[in-house]
Amino acid sequence: MAVRTGSYPRLPFLLIGSASLFLHFFSLVLLADPTFAASRPDALKIGVLAPLSGPYAAGGTSFVQAATLAVEQANAEGGVFGQQVTIVVGDTQGRVDVAKAEALRLVSREKVSALVGAYLSEETVGVMEVAAAHRTVLLVPVAATAEITDLVRREYARYRYVFRVGYSLPQWAEMIGAFLSDRKVRRYAFIGAGIRWNRELGETLERIVGPQGIAPAYTAYYSPGNPAFDTVAVAAAAASPDIVILADPGRNSVSLLKRLREAAPALPALSIGGALGDARLAASIPLSAPVYVQAAAWRGVSPAATEYVERYEHRFGAPPVGYSDTLPYDAITVLVAAWRKAGSGATETVVAVLEREAFAGVAGMYRFDAAHQAHWGTGPGALRGTFVRWERGGARIVFPRR
Amino acid sequence: MAAGMALILGVVKVINLSHGAFFTLGAYVAYALAERGVESPLAAAPLAAVIAFAFGVFLGKSFVNPARAHPFALPVGTLACALLFEQAAQMVWGPHPLSIEAGEPWIGPGGLVIRQWGVIAFLSSAALLGGLKWVLSARPGLPLRLIAEDEEIAGSLGMDVEAIRYLTFGGACAMAAAAGALLSPSGAVTPTMGRAPLLLSLVVVIVAGMDSVAAIFLLSIGLGIFGNACAWLLSPQWSYVALLAVVCLLLSARPAGIVVLAGRRD
Repeated sequence: MAVRTGSYPRLPFLLIGSASLFLHFFSLVLLADPTFAASRPDALKIGVLAPLSGPYAAGGTSFVQAATLAVEQANAEGGVFGQQVTIVVGDTQGRVDVAKAEALRLVSREKVSALVGAYLSEETVGVMEVAAAHRTVLLVPVAATAEITDLVRREYARYRYVFRVGYSLPQWAEMIGAFLSDRKVRRYAFIGAGIRWNRELGETLERIVGPQGIAPAYTAYYSPGNPAFDTVAVAAAAASPDIVILADPGRNSVSLLKRLREAAPALPALSIGGALGDARLAASIPLSAPVYVQAAAWRGVSPAATEYVERYEHRFGAPPVGYSDTLPYDAITVLVAAWRKAGSGATETVVAVLEREAFAGVAGMYRFDAAHQAHWGTGPGALRGTFVRWERGGARIVFPRR
Repeated sequence: MAAGMALILGVVKVINLSHGAFFTLGAYVAYALAERGVESPLAAAPLAAVIAFAFGVFLGKSFVNPARAHPFALPVGTLACALLFEQAAQMVWGPHPLSIEAGEPWIGPGGLVIRQWGVIAFLSSAALLGGLKWVLSARPGLPLRLIAEDEEIAGSLGMDVEAIRYLTFGGACAMAAAAGALLSPSGAVTPTMGRAPLLLSLVVVIVAGMDSVAAIFLLSIGLGIFGNACAWLLSPQWSYVALLAVVCLLLSARPAGIVVLAGRRD
């Protein structure tokens, strides 16, 4: 083919390029709109790190929406130290290098007073380094790997600024184990994406529920890019488990559940990753067998939870999924409460308050242990999470029994 | 979808990295119709095809044809179009996964599960490919064959090569959108759902070669079965890797594709 050396047809490129840039920035501005920080230099800034693009954009968007709602609530209550609170969002894209770069930008250029995030465990471990190096408080809402709190325990002086609001993998496994025991499950199938926390949770769950006589009948991790759902669904059904646990936090759990219903229409499923907590999705899910969803909190668990769900639904047009939105909401609520109790934004003072005090959130009362891990699980005083079952009219809370 | 990709490669001679975006467009059209009570992908496919054809013709005329002389610009440009569409879809429908009811599967003899949407998609693609094969082998397909073979001769015979190119581009985009609409009940509808089918159809077209519609059809089925067999026998995570490894082996053995018609000029 002959290649002309003349000028490129620039107009189409310019149009496509400009439109792409416009759409990208417009969408980011829309997400952060109510509390867009750039125009408020006097405001107290919280850096929010979440994936707004890439494969985890859905979870990241809920994350930022919930953070926005929490900040609006804080400002409606008078702000902090007479100042308005704002959020500055960093798009981590689900990548460790981007998450670290964005954390660095928020801390050094945006001068945020604290960080909330990130989303994936891998990202969060990277962001911890930035928080430690800049002595900035970091509240971790959803990343669950044990490494986060292990680092705080082992190297307290370096990582003492890091507090995890969400559940750690052992706590998560403990809550799932209690639910499985309540449902009299003896054999389960665990299916997740081939990402770090899915694998770690599968291994931790097996270790924790083993002594209760509960064992995995089938375990599989698929490639998120091109998962072989048909095979996984058929193999899971052939193993005859009492329940299938879907760990994928994204859209793949929807596709997999549809295949499972074809392979084994009467096999119950438990989604722990968040996506199936979306009522819009649940409306299209076959309910020939129970579909359970595990969440941090749900409408009806407490007055605070119900109020949060109603405000979220009113603000964003759809109810929260109870995981990637509820925990970031509580992370910001805890941070704002700590600032108020400390009477100052000074990092060391805030760290001391977070270590010492208890903080009310949507999911319950947060207290942090020596490793700066919020107390989730089944013991006395623990935050217990919620398991709901989807039915045609909506979701019904089934565990913990009330 | 792979057949549409092959058409674009053969006639327009560009790698269209926005092909997956048209697949996504088809799925969103099906979702939008389902929201309004029309839950049949069969009803959504023609509408999606018409919309995608219009977009495809616009893209082909305004961007692909003018930029065709610069072979490195087109993959980048079509990729930018795909990202632009993903961003637009995210703004319109949000990044959250959406879903359409798949309907109850039919249970055949011996408990054999037959998916409604699977049967519909298979029969539709078989009919589409049969039609395409007929068009390409009959008189109406002569301009396409001639342009694929030698554009200069086609032009000297008075054919409007530019128009045929962008109409072909639009037609191929329509095929991708119809595929997206037909397969939309199978999983979740998201802005990035077209990426995996794009890669797989590119693989199928390059490995099968662009000369035989039947080879594309059979290779698509073969690679699907192979991927699932690997997932069953090895591990779900290995199916994709094994599939791409086989593709690499096939291409190293036959770089021009498995099926290259005798007498073809390069």
